[in-house]
Amino acid sequence: MLIKALLIALYAGLAGIDLFDVQLHFHRPVVTGAIVGLILGDFEKGLVVGATLELVWMGMVPLAGAQPPNVVIGGVLGTAFAILTKVDPKVAVGLAVPFAIAVQAAITFILTVYSWFIHKADKYAEEGNAKGVEFINLAGMIPLFIFYALVAFLPLYFGADAAKSIVNSIPKVIIGGLQVAGGIMPALGFAMLLKIMLKREFIHFLLLGFVLVTYFKLSLIAVAIIGIIVAAYSYFNGNLKNDDGEAITDGI
Amino acid sequence: MAYNSNDKKLSKKELYSMAWRSLFLQASFCYERMQAGGWLYSLLPALKKIYKDRKDDLKKAMKDHLEFFNTHPFLVTPILGIIAAMEEKGEDRDAIRGVKIALMGPLGGIGDAIAWLTILPICAGLGASLAIQGNAFGPILFLILFNVIHFALVFGGINYGYNTGLNALASLKTGTKTISSLASIVGLTVVGALIASYISMKTPLVIHAGKAKVALQTGVLDKILPNMLPLAFTFFIYWLLKKGLSPTKIIGIIILFSIVCKYFGVL
Repeated sequence: MLIKALLIALYAGLAGIDLFDVQLHFHRPVVTGAIVGLILGDFEKGLVVGATLELVWMGMVPLAGAQPPNVVIGGVLGTAFAILTKVDPKVAVGLAVPFAIAVQAAITFILTVYSWFIHKADKYAEEGNAKGVEFINLAGMIPLFIFYALVAFLPLYFGADAAKSIVNSIPKVIIGGLQVAGGIMPALGFAMLLKIMLKREFIHFLLLGFVLVTYFKLSLIAVAIIGIIVAAYSYFNGNLKNDDGEAITDGI
Repeated sequence: MAYNSNDKKLSKKELYSMAWRSLFLQASFCYERMQAGGWLYSLLPALKKIYKDRKDDLKKAMKDHLEFFNTHPFLVTPILGIIAAMEEKGEDRDAIRGVKIALMGPLGGIGDAIAWLTILPICAGLGASLAIQGNAFGPILFLILFNVIHFALVFGGINYGYNTGLNALASLKTGTKTISSLASIVGLTVVGALIASYISMKTPLVIHAGKAKVALQTGVLDKILPNMLPLAFTFFIYWLLKKGLSPTKIIGIIILFSIVCKYFGVL
Protein backbone atom coordinates (compact mmCIF):
# COMPACT_ATOMS: atom_id res chain seq x y z
CA MET A 1 0.00 0.00 0.00
CA LEU A 2 2.92 2.37 0.72
CA ILE A 3 4.07 2.38 -2.92
CA LYS A 4 0.52 2.79 -4.22
CA ALA A 5 -0.19 5.61 -1.76
CA LEU A 6 3.07 7.32 -2.78
CA LEU A 7 2.22 7.03 -6.48
CA ILE A 8 -1.23 8.48 -5.89
CA ALA A 9 0.33 11.27 -3.78
CA LEU A 10 2.72 12.10 -6.64
CA TYR A 11 -0.18 12.17 -9.07
CA ALA A 12 -2.25 14.36 -6.72
CA GLY A 13 0.65 16.83 -6.40
CA LEU A 14 1.04 17.11 -10.17
CA ALA A 15 -2.72 17.34 -10.68
CA GLY A 16 -2.85 20.11 -8.07
CA ILE A 17 -0.34 22.06 -10.14
CA ASP A 18 -2.24 21.28 -13.35
CA LEU A 19 -5.35 22.83 -11.79
CA PHE A 20 -3.63 26.25 -11.91
CA ASP A 21 -0.67 25.92 -14.26
CA VAL A 22 -0.19 24.48 -17.75
CA GLN A 23 -3.76 23.22 -17.37
CA LEU A 24 -3.65 20.19 -19.60
CA HIS A 25 -6.62 19.25 -17.44
CA PHE A 26 -5.41 15.79 -16.52
CA HIS A 27 -6.62 16.84 -13.06
CA ARG A 28 -10.25 16.41 -14.12
CA PRO A 29 -11.99 13.40 -12.49
CA VAL A 30 -12.55 11.68 -15.86
CA VAL A 31 -8.74 11.33 -16.15
CA THR A 32 -7.99 11.05 -12.42
CA GLY A 33 -10.38 8.10 -12.12
CA ALA A 34 -8.56 6.16 -14.83
CA ILE A 35 -5.10 6.87 -13.38
CA VAL A 36 -5.98 6.16 -9.74
CA GLY A 37 -7.81 3.03 -10.94
CA LEU A 38 -4.69 1.93 -12.79
CA ILE A 39 -2.50 2.45 -9.70
CA LEU A 40 -4.92 0.57 -7.44
CA GLY A 41 -5.41 -2.26 -9.92
CA ASP A 42 -9.06 -1.71 -10.88
CA PHE A 43 -8.92 0.36 -14.05
CA GLU A 44 -12.49 -0.32 -15.10
CA LYS A 45 -14.03 0.84 -11.83
CA GLY A 46 -11.71 3.85 -11.81
CA LEU A 47 -13.04 4.88 -15.21
CA VAL A 48 -16.67 4.65 -14.10
CA VAL A 49 -16.14 6.44 -10.78
CA GLY A 50 -14.09 9.14 -12.50
CA ALA A 51 -16.82 9.71 -15.07
CA THR A 52 -19.45 9.92 -12.31
CA LEU A 53 -17.36 12.45 -10.37
CA GLU A 54 -16.70 14.40 -13.59
CA LEU A 55 -20.41 15.08 -13.98
CA VAL A 56 -20.67 16.30 -10.38
CA TRP A 57 -17.81 18.74 -10.94
CA MET A 58 -18.97 19.81 -14.40
CA GLY A 59 -20.09 23.30 -13.41
CA MET A 60 -17.68 23.63 -10.51
CA VAL A 61 -15.02 25.64 -12.27
CA PRO A 62 -13.04 28.63 -10.97
CA LEU A 63 -15.27 31.41 -12.28
CA ALA A 64 -13.78 34.86 -11.78
CA GLY A 65 -11.32 33.42 -9.30
CA ALA A 66 -13.88 31.91 -6.90
CA GLN A 67 -12.80 28.42 -5.91
CA PRO A 68 -15.34 25.54 -5.90
CA PRO A 69 -14.90 22.31 -3.84
CA ASN A 70 -11.49 20.97 -4.76
CA VAL A 71 -11.74 18.86 -7.88
CA VAL A 72 -8.28 17.26 -7.52
CA ILE A 73 -8.76 15.82 -4.03
CA GLY A 74 -12.41 15.03 -4.73
CA GLY A 75 -11.39 13.00 -7.78
CA VAL A 76 -8.39 11.26 -6.20
CA LEU A 77 -9.95 10.32 -2.86
CA GLY A 78 -13.39 9.62 -4.36
CA THR A 79 -11.94 7.08 -6.78
CA ALA A 80 -9.57 5.60 -4.21
CA PHE A 81 -12.33 5.16 -1.61
CA ALA A 82 -14.65 3.61 -4.18
CA ILE A 83 -12.03 1.03 -5.16
CA LEU A 84 -10.62 0.34 -1.70
CA THR A 85 -13.95 0.08 0.12
CA LYS A 86 -15.75 -1.55 -2.84
CA VAL A 87 -18.76 0.76 -2.55
CA ASP A 88 -20.96 1.79 -5.45
CA PRO A 89 -19.53 4.71 -7.51
CA LYS A 90 -22.47 6.86 -6.48
CA VAL A 91 -21.73 6.30 -2.80
CA ALA A 92 -18.12 7.30 -3.47
CA VAL A 93 -19.38 10.66 -4.74
CA GLY A 94 -21.11 11.27 -1.42
CA LEU A 95 -17.91 10.37 0.43
CA ALA A 96 -15.58 12.48 -1.74
CA VAL A 97 -17.42 15.77 -1.62
CA PRO A 98 -16.88 16.56 2.11
CA PHE A 99 -13.12 16.01 1.70
CA ALA A 100 -13.09 18.29 -1.33
CA ILE A 101 -14.83 21.06 0.60
CA ALA A 102 -12.42 20.85 3.54
CA VAL A 103 -9.40 20.91 1.21
CA GLN A 104 -10.73 23.95 -0.62
CA ALA A 105 -11.05 25.83 2.66
CA ALA A 106 -7.41 25.04 3.39
CA ILE A 107 -6.38 26.22 -0.07
CA THR A 108 -8.19 29.52 0.35
CA PHE A 109 -6.03 30.03 3.43
CA ILE A 110 -2.84 29.03 1.57
CA LEU A 111 -3.56 31.44 -1.30
CA THR A 112 -4.03 34.24 1.20
CA VAL A 113 -0.64 33.54 2.76
CA TYR A 114 0.83 33.42 -0.77
CA SER A 115 1.07 37.22 -0.64
CA TRP A 116 4.59 36.51 0.61
CA PHE A 117 5.59 35.53 -2.94
CA ILE A 118 4.32 38.74 -4.52
CA HIS A 119 6.05 40.85 -1.86
CA LYS A 120 9.28 39.02 -2.66
CA ALA A 121 8.66 39.77 -6.35
CA ASP A 122 8.19 43.47 -5.45
CA LYS A 123 11.62 43.50 -3.89
CA TYR A 124 13.25 41.88 -6.95
CA ALA A 125 11.47 44.32 -9.29
CA GLU A 126 12.83 47.19 -7.21
CA GLU A 127 16.33 45.83 -7.85
CA GLY A 128 15.61 45.17 -11.54
CA ASN A 129 16.33 41.52 -10.86
CA ALA A 130 14.44 39.65 -13.62
CA LYS A 131 15.88 36.27 -12.64
CA GLY A 132 14.57 36.71 -9.10
CA VAL A 133 11.05 37.44 -10.36
CA GLU A 134 11.15 34.40 -12.61
CA PHE A 135 12.35 32.18 -9.78
CA ILE A 136 9.82 33.42 -7.24
CA ASN A 137 6.89 32.93 -9.61
CA LEU A 138 7.82 29.32 -10.39
CA ALA A 139 8.65 28.59 -6.74
CA GLY A 140 5.00 29.26 -5.95
CA MET A 141 4.17 25.80 -7.28
CA ILE A 142 6.26 23.96 -4.66
CA PRO A 143 4.15 24.44 -1.50
CA LEU A 144 0.94 23.57 -3.36
CA PHE A 145 2.52 20.40 -4.76
CA ILE A 146 3.53 19.31 -1.26
CA PHE A 147 0.12 20.16 0.15
CA TYR A 148 -1.82 18.16 -2.45
CA ALA A 149 0.52 15.19 -2.18
CA LEU A 150 0.19 15.11 1.63
CA VAL A 151 -3.59 15.47 1.61
CA ALA A 152 -3.86 12.53 -0.79
CA PHE A 153 -1.24 10.39 0.95
CA LEU A 154 -2.30 10.60 4.60
CA PRO A 155 -5.88 9.27 4.39
CA LEU A 156 -4.84 6.59 1.90
CA TYR A 157 -1.86 5.29 3.82
CA PHE A 158 -3.26 5.47 7.33
CA GLY A 159 -6.94 5.34 6.63
CA ALA A 160 -7.70 2.81 3.91
CA ASP A 161 -8.60 0.08 6.37
CA ALA A 162 -10.17 2.51 8.78
CA ALA A 163 -12.25 3.97 5.96
CA LYS A 164 -13.34 0.46 4.97
CA SER A 165 -14.56 -0.43 8.45
CA ILE A 166 -16.26 2.94 8.84
CA VAL A 167 -18.08 2.47 5.55
CA ASN A 168 -19.12 -1.05 6.59
CA SER A 169 -20.58 0.23 9.84
CA ILE A 170 -22.77 2.87 8.20
CA PRO A 171 -26.50 1.98 8.28
CA LYS A 172 -28.06 0.79 5.01
CA VAL A 173 -30.40 3.76 4.73
CA ILE A 174 -27.46 6.18 4.85
CA ILE A 175 -25.52 4.24 2.20
CA GLY A 176 -28.67 4.05 0.09
CA GLY A 177 -29.22 7.78 0.63
CA LEU A 178 -25.65 8.56 -0.41
CA GLN A 179 -26.23 6.49 -3.53
CA VAL A 180 -29.32 8.54 -4.37
CA ALA A 181 -27.36 11.73 -3.62
CA GLY A 182 -24.53 10.62 -5.95
CA GLY A 183 -27.08 10.01 -8.70
CA ILE A 184 -28.67 13.44 -8.46
CA MET A 185 -25.57 15.45 -7.47
CA PRO A 186 -24.74 16.28 -11.13
CA ALA A 187 -27.81 18.55 -10.99
CA LEU A 188 -25.72 20.94 -8.87
CA GLY A 189 -22.99 21.11 -11.51
CA PHE A 190 -25.53 21.73 -14.24
CA ALA A 191 -27.43 24.29 -12.14
CA MET A 192 -24.20 26.21 -11.54
CA LEU A 193 -23.65 26.38 -15.29
CA LEU A 194 -27.23 27.56 -15.71
CA LYS A 195 -26.87 30.24 -13.05
CA ILE A 196 -24.25 31.94 -15.19
CA MET A 197 -25.43 31.12 -18.70
CA LEU A 198 -29.21 30.99 -18.58
CA LYS A 199 -31.00 34.09 -19.81
CA ARG A 200 -34.69 34.31 -20.58
CA GLU A 201 -34.07 34.57 -24.32
CA PHE A 202 -31.90 31.44 -24.31
CA ILE A 203 -34.09 29.03 -22.33
CA HIS A 204 -35.37 27.23 -25.43
CA PHE A 205 -31.85 26.11 -26.34
CA LEU A 206 -31.66 24.26 -23.02
CA LEU A 207 -34.99 22.58 -23.77
CA LEU A 208 -33.79 21.70 -27.27
CA GLY A 209 -30.85 19.72 -25.89
CA PHE A 210 -33.08 18.11 -23.25
CA VAL A 211 -35.68 17.01 -25.80
CA LEU A 212 -33.10 15.74 -28.29
CA VAL A 213 -31.85 13.28 -25.67
CA THR A 214 -35.12 12.49 -23.89
CA TYR A 215 -37.17 11.68 -26.99
CA PHE A 216 -34.62 11.12 -29.76
CA LYS A 217 -31.88 9.46 -27.66
CA LEU A 218 -29.16 11.42 -29.49
CA SER A 219 -25.55 11.21 -28.30
CA LEU A 220 -23.78 14.22 -26.78
CA ILE A 221 -21.67 14.67 -29.91
CA ALA A 222 -24.80 14.92 -32.05
CA VAL A 223 -26.35 17.44 -29.65
CA ALA A 224 -23.15 19.53 -29.58
CA ILE A 225 -23.09 19.63 -33.40
CA ILE A 226 -26.74 20.67 -33.52
CA GLY A 227 -25.95 23.36 -30.93
CA ILE A 228 -23.16 24.71 -33.15
CA ILE A 229 -25.48 24.72 -36.17
CA VAL A 230 -28.14 26.62 -34.22
CA ALA A 231 -25.54 29.15 -33.00
CA ALA A 232 -24.24 29.63 -36.55
CA TYR A 233 -27.80 30.08 -37.81
CA SER A 234 -28.53 32.74 -35.19
CA TYR A 235 -25.29 34.49 -36.00
CA PHE A 236 -25.67 34.65 -39.76
CA ASN A 237 -29.33 35.53 -39.68
CA GLY A 238 -28.82 38.46 -37.37
CA ASN A 239 -30.96 37.09 -34.55
CA LEU A 240 -28.36 38.04 -31.96
CA LYS A 241 -28.33 41.48 -30.43
CA ASN A 242 -25.05 43.25 -29.96
CA ASP A 243 -24.13 45.54 -27.08
CA ASP A 244 -26.30 48.38 -28.36
CA GLY A 245 -29.30 46.14 -28.86
CA GLU A 246 -29.03 46.30 -32.66
CA ALA A 247 -29.10 43.16 -34.73
CA ILE A 248 -25.63 42.21 -35.92
CA THR A 249 -25.44 42.14 -39.67
CA ASP A 250 -21.79 41.41 -40.34
CA GLY A 251 -18.75 39.99 -38.59
CA ILE A 252 -17.29 41.23 -35.35
CA MET B 1 20.41 58.02 -26.19
CA ALA B 2 20.46 56.31 -29.55
CA TYR B 3 19.65 52.72 -30.05
CA ASN B 4 19.10 50.61 -33.09
CA SER B 5 15.36 50.25 -33.59
CA ASN B 6 15.74 46.73 -35.03
CA ASP B 7 17.53 45.71 -31.89
CA LYS B 8 14.48 46.07 -29.66
CA LYS B 9 11.91 44.75 -32.09
CA LEU B 10 10.31 41.61 -30.78
CA SER B 11 10.69 38.45 -32.81
CA LYS B 12 8.76 35.19 -32.86
CA LYS B 13 11.25 33.92 -30.31
CA GLU B 14 10.13 36.34 -27.61
CA LEU B 15 6.47 35.96 -28.53
CA TYR B 16 6.49 32.18 -28.24
CA SER B 17 8.57 32.37 -25.09
CA MET B 18 5.81 34.59 -23.64
CA ALA B 19 3.14 32.13 -24.72
CA TRP B 20 4.95 29.22 -23.03
CA ARG B 21 5.48 31.25 -19.89
CA SER B 22 1.81 32.22 -19.82
CA LEU B 23 1.13 28.58 -18.88
CA PHE B 24 2.56 29.56 -15.48
CA LEU B 25 0.39 32.65 -15.10
CA GLN B 26 -1.03 31.38 -11.81
CA ALA B 27 2.09 29.74 -10.35
CA SER B 28 2.29 32.32 -7.56
CA PHE B 29 -1.42 33.15 -7.44
CA CYS B 30 -2.47 34.96 -4.26
CA TYR B 31 -5.68 36.73 -3.35
CA GLU B 32 -3.89 40.03 -2.81
CA ARG B 33 -2.87 40.61 -6.44
CA MET B 34 -3.99 37.36 -8.06
CA GLN B 35 -2.03 36.66 -11.26
CA ALA B 36 0.35 39.62 -10.96
CA GLY B 37 3.50 37.52 -10.41
CA GLY B 38 2.74 35.23 -13.32
CA TRP B 39 1.80 38.16 -15.54
CA LEU B 40 5.18 39.83 -15.04
CA TYR B 41 6.90 36.44 -15.46
CA SER B 42 5.13 35.99 -18.81
CA LEU B 43 5.87 39.50 -20.04
CA LEU B 44 9.55 39.49 -19.05
CA PRO B 45 10.95 38.08 -22.33
CA ALA B 46 9.56 41.17 -24.08
CA LEU B 47 10.58 43.63 -21.35
CA LYS B 48 14.13 42.24 -21.17
CA LYS B 49 14.59 42.71 -24.92
CA ILE B 50 12.94 46.12 -25.15
CA TYR B 51 14.75 47.59 -22.12
CA LYS B 52 18.03 45.80 -22.68
CA ASP B 53 20.23 48.84 -22.11
CA ARG B 54 17.90 50.84 -19.90
CA LYS B 55 17.86 49.33 -16.45
CA ASP B 56 15.87 52.16 -14.85
CA ASP B 57 13.08 51.85 -17.41
CA LEU B 58 13.10 48.09 -16.91
CA LYS B 59 12.65 48.55 -13.16
CA LYS B 60 9.77 50.96 -13.73
CA ALA B 61 8.08 48.56 -16.14
CA MET B 62 8.58 45.61 -13.80
CA LYS B 63 7.03 47.48 -10.88
CA ASP B 64 4.04 48.50 -13.01
CA HIS B 65 3.43 44.96 -14.17
CA LEU B 66 3.30 43.65 -10.61
CA GLU B 67 0.05 45.51 -10.02
CA PHE B 68 -3.17 43.53 -9.60
CA PHE B 69 -3.91 41.40 -12.61
CA ASN B 70 -6.55 38.77 -13.26
CA THR B 71 -7.96 37.37 -16.46
CA HIS B 72 -8.69 33.99 -17.99
CA PRO B 73 -5.48 31.94 -18.28
CA PHE B 74 -6.38 30.71 -21.78
CA LEU B 75 -6.94 34.24 -23.09
CA VAL B 76 -4.05 36.07 -21.47
CA THR B 77 -1.84 35.82 -24.58
CA PRO B 78 -3.78 38.38 -26.68
CA ILE B 79 -3.29 40.84 -23.79
CA LEU B 80 0.40 39.93 -23.54
CA GLY B 81 0.77 40.54 -27.29
CA ILE B 82 -0.95 43.91 -27.20
CA ILE B 83 0.94 45.11 -24.11
CA ALA B 84 4.25 43.91 -25.58
CA ALA B 85 3.47 45.89 -28.76
CA MET B 86 2.71 48.98 -26.67
CA GLU B 87 5.90 48.60 -24.65
CA GLU B 88 7.87 48.19 -27.86
CA LYS B 89 6.37 51.36 -29.35
CA GLY B 90 7.28 53.20 -26.15
CA GLU B 91 3.71 54.13 -25.26
CA ASP B 92 2.97 56.11 -22.14
CA ARG B 93 3.05 54.01 -18.94
CA ASP B 94 -0.47 55.14 -17.95
CA ALA B 95 -1.82 54.17 -21.37
CA ILE B 96 -0.29 50.73 -21.01
CA ARG B 97 -1.82 50.28 -17.57
CA GLY B 98 -5.20 51.47 -18.87
CA VAL B 99 -5.23 49.07 -21.79
CA LYS B 100 -4.14 46.19 -19.60
CA ILE B 101 -6.93 46.81 -17.10
CA ALA B 102 -9.50 47.46 -19.83
CA LEU B 103 -8.71 44.12 -21.46
CA MET B 104 -8.39 41.80 -18.48
CA GLY B 105 -12.06 42.04 -17.45
CA PRO B 106 -13.76 41.38 -20.78
CA LEU B 107 -11.27 38.66 -21.73
CA GLY B 108 -11.78 37.08 -18.32
CA GLY B 109 -15.50 37.00 -18.99
CA ILE B 110 -15.17 35.66 -22.54
CA GLY B 111 -12.67 33.07 -21.30
CA ASP B 112 -15.06 31.84 -18.61
CA ALA B 113 -17.87 31.59 -21.17
CA ILE B 114 -15.76 29.84 -23.78
CA ALA B 115 -13.40 27.65 -21.76
CA TRP B 116 -15.18 26.78 -18.50
CA LEU B 117 -18.81 26.92 -19.66
CA THR B 118 -18.54 25.60 -23.21
CA ILE B 119 -15.34 23.78 -24.16
CA LEU B 120 -14.75 22.04 -20.83
CA PRO B 121 -18.32 20.76 -20.30
CA ILE B 122 -18.55 19.55 -23.89
CA CYS B 123 -15.13 17.83 -24.01
CA ALA B 124 -15.41 16.41 -20.49
CA GLY B 125 -19.02 15.40 -21.10
CA LEU B 126 -17.98 13.48 -24.22
CA GLY B 127 -15.08 11.82 -22.41
CA ALA B 128 -17.24 10.95 -19.41
CA SER B 129 -20.00 9.53 -21.61
CA LEU B 130 -17.49 6.97 -22.93
CA ALA B 131 -15.70 6.37 -19.62
CA ILE B 132 -18.94 5.72 -17.74
CA GLN B 133 -19.39 2.66 -19.98
CA GLY B 134 -15.88 1.50 -19.09
CA ASN B 135 -14.34 2.71 -22.36
CA ALA B 136 -10.66 3.65 -21.81
CA PHE B 137 -10.74 6.00 -24.79
CA GLY B 138 -12.95 8.41 -22.80
CA PRO B 139 -10.19 10.21 -20.83
CA ILE B 140 -7.89 10.21 -23.88
CA LEU B 141 -10.54 11.73 -26.13
CA PHE B 142 -11.17 14.41 -23.50
CA LEU B 143 -7.47 15.33 -23.16
CA ILE B 144 -6.90 15.51 -26.92
CA LEU B 145 -10.03 17.51 -27.75
CA PHE B 146 -9.57 19.93 -24.88
CA ASN B 147 -5.88 20.61 -25.40
CA VAL B 148 -6.07 21.09 -29.17
CA ILE B 149 -8.44 23.99 -28.49
CA HIS B 150 -6.49 25.15 -25.42
CA PHE B 151 -3.14 25.45 -27.20
CA ALA B 152 -4.70 26.91 -30.34
CA LEU B 153 -6.09 29.70 -28.14
CA VAL B 154 -2.80 30.29 -26.29
CA PHE B 155 -0.49 30.31 -29.30
CA GLY B 156 -2.96 31.87 -31.72
CA GLY B 157 -3.66 34.58 -29.16
CA ILE B 158 -0.08 35.82 -28.81
CA ASN B 159 0.29 36.49 -32.54
CA TYR B 160 -3.19 37.92 -32.82
CA GLY B 161 -2.56 40.28 -29.94
CA TYR B 162 0.85 41.44 -31.08
CA ASN B 163 -0.05 41.89 -34.75
CA THR B 164 -3.31 43.63 -34.19
CA GLY B 165 -1.84 45.72 -31.40
CA LEU B 166 -4.14 48.49 -30.46
CA ASN B 167 -6.64 47.71 -33.22
CA ALA B 168 -7.52 44.55 -31.32
CA LEU B 169 -8.85 46.65 -28.48
CA ALA B 170 -11.74 48.00 -30.52
CA SER B 171 -12.64 44.69 -32.11
CA LEU B 172 -12.57 42.84 -28.79
CA LYS B 173 -14.94 45.30 -27.17
CA THR B 174 -17.66 44.97 -29.77
CA GLY B 175 -17.17 41.23 -29.98
CA THR B 176 -17.51 40.36 -26.31
CA LYS B 177 -21.27 40.07 -26.10
CA THR B 178 -21.67 38.23 -29.40
CA ILE B 179 -19.05 35.65 -28.52
CA SER B 180 -20.63 35.08 -25.12
CA SER B 181 -24.08 34.69 -26.67
CA LEU B 182 -22.88 32.16 -29.25
CA ALA B 183 -21.03 30.22 -26.59
CA SER B 184 -24.16 30.26 -24.41
CA ILE B 185 -26.32 28.81 -27.19
CA VAL B 186 -24.01 25.83 -27.76
CA GLY B 187 -23.33 25.43 -24.06
CA LEU B 188 -27.00 25.49 -23.01
CA THR B 189 -27.98 22.97 -25.68
CA VAL B 190 -25.34 20.61 -24.33
CA VAL B 191 -26.36 21.25 -20.70
CA GLY B 192 -29.94 20.35 -21.64
CA ALA B 193 -28.64 17.09 -23.07
CA LEU B 194 -26.53 16.44 -19.97
CA ILE B 195 -29.51 16.93 -17.65
CA ALA B 196 -31.45 14.33 -19.62
CA SER B 197 -28.50 11.92 -19.80
CA TYR B 198 -26.73 11.96 -16.48
CA ILE B 199 -29.03 12.69 -13.57
CA SER B 200 -30.45 9.40 -12.36
CA MET B 201 -33.62 10.17 -10.45
CA LYS B 202 -36.45 7.69 -10.47
CA THR B 203 -39.14 7.03 -7.91
CA PRO B 204 -40.02 3.46 -6.88
CA LEU B 205 -43.41 4.60 -5.51
CA VAL B 206 -46.44 2.57 -6.51
CA ILE B 207 -49.93 4.04 -6.38
CA HIS B 208 -52.69 1.77 -5.12
CA ALA B 209 -56.10 2.63 -6.51
CA GLY B 210 -58.45 -0.03 -5.23
CA LYS B 211 -57.10 -3.23 -6.73
CA ALA B 212 -55.16 -1.50 -9.48
CA LYS B 213 -51.48 -0.76 -8.94
CA VAL B 214 -49.73 1.93 -10.95
CA ALA B 215 -45.98 2.49 -10.82
CA LEU B 216 -45.62 6.25 -10.49
CA GLN B 217 -42.44 6.40 -12.59
CA THR B 218 -43.25 4.20 -15.60
CA GLY B 219 -47.04 4.50 -15.44
CA VAL B 220 -47.44 8.23 -14.87
CA LEU B 221 -44.31 10.39 -15.01
CA ASP B 222 -42.75 8.74 -18.08
CA LYS B 223 -46.08 9.04 -19.90
CA ILE B 224 -46.12 12.80 -19.37
CA LEU B 225 -42.44 13.65 -19.85
CA PRO B 226 -39.57 11.21 -19.37
CA ASN B 227 -36.70 12.71 -17.36
CA MET B 228 -39.19 15.08 -15.78
CA LEU B 229 -37.70 14.56 -12.30
CA PRO B 230 -34.08 15.35 -13.33
CA LEU B 231 -35.24 18.52 -15.11
CA ALA B 232 -37.39 19.65 -12.21
CA PHE B 233 -34.66 18.88 -9.67
CA THR B 234 -32.06 20.81 -11.68
CA PHE B 235 -34.33 23.85 -11.70
CA PHE B 236 -34.90 23.44 -7.96
CA ILE B 237 -31.13 23.57 -7.39
CA TYR B 238 -30.87 26.48 -9.83
CA TRP B 239 -33.50 28.29 -7.76
CA LEU B 240 -31.55 27.60 -4.54
CA LEU B 241 -28.39 29.01 -6.17
CA LYS B 242 -30.32 32.09 -7.32
CA LYS B 243 -31.53 32.52 -3.73
CA GLY B 244 -27.89 32.90 -2.82
CA LEU B 245 -27.21 29.53 -1.17
CA SER B 246 -23.58 28.46 -1.53
CA PRO B 247 -22.75 25.23 -3.42
CA THR B 248 -21.39 23.82 -0.17
CA LYS B 249 -24.74 24.31 1.61
CA ILE B 250 -26.59 22.87 -1.37
CA ILE B 251 -24.42 19.73 -1.28
CA GLY B 252 -25.45 19.30 2.35
CA ILE B 253 -29.10 19.79 1.42
CA ILE B 254 -28.87 17.25 -1.42
CA ILE B 255 -27.33 14.62 0.85
CA LEU B 256 -29.92 15.16 3.62
CA PHE B 257 -32.77 15.23 1.08
CA SER B 258 -31.54 11.96 -0.46
CA ILE B 259 -31.28 10.15 2.86
CA VAL B 260 -34.74 11.31 3.92
CA CYS B 261 -36.24 10.31 0.55
CA LYS B 262 -34.53 6.93 0.78
CA TYR B 263 -35.89 6.40 4.28
CA PHE B 264 -39.47 7.02 3.15
CA GLY B 265 -38.99 5.09 -0.06
CA VAL B 266 -39.70 8.09 -2.27
CA LEU B 267 -36.46 7.79 -4.27
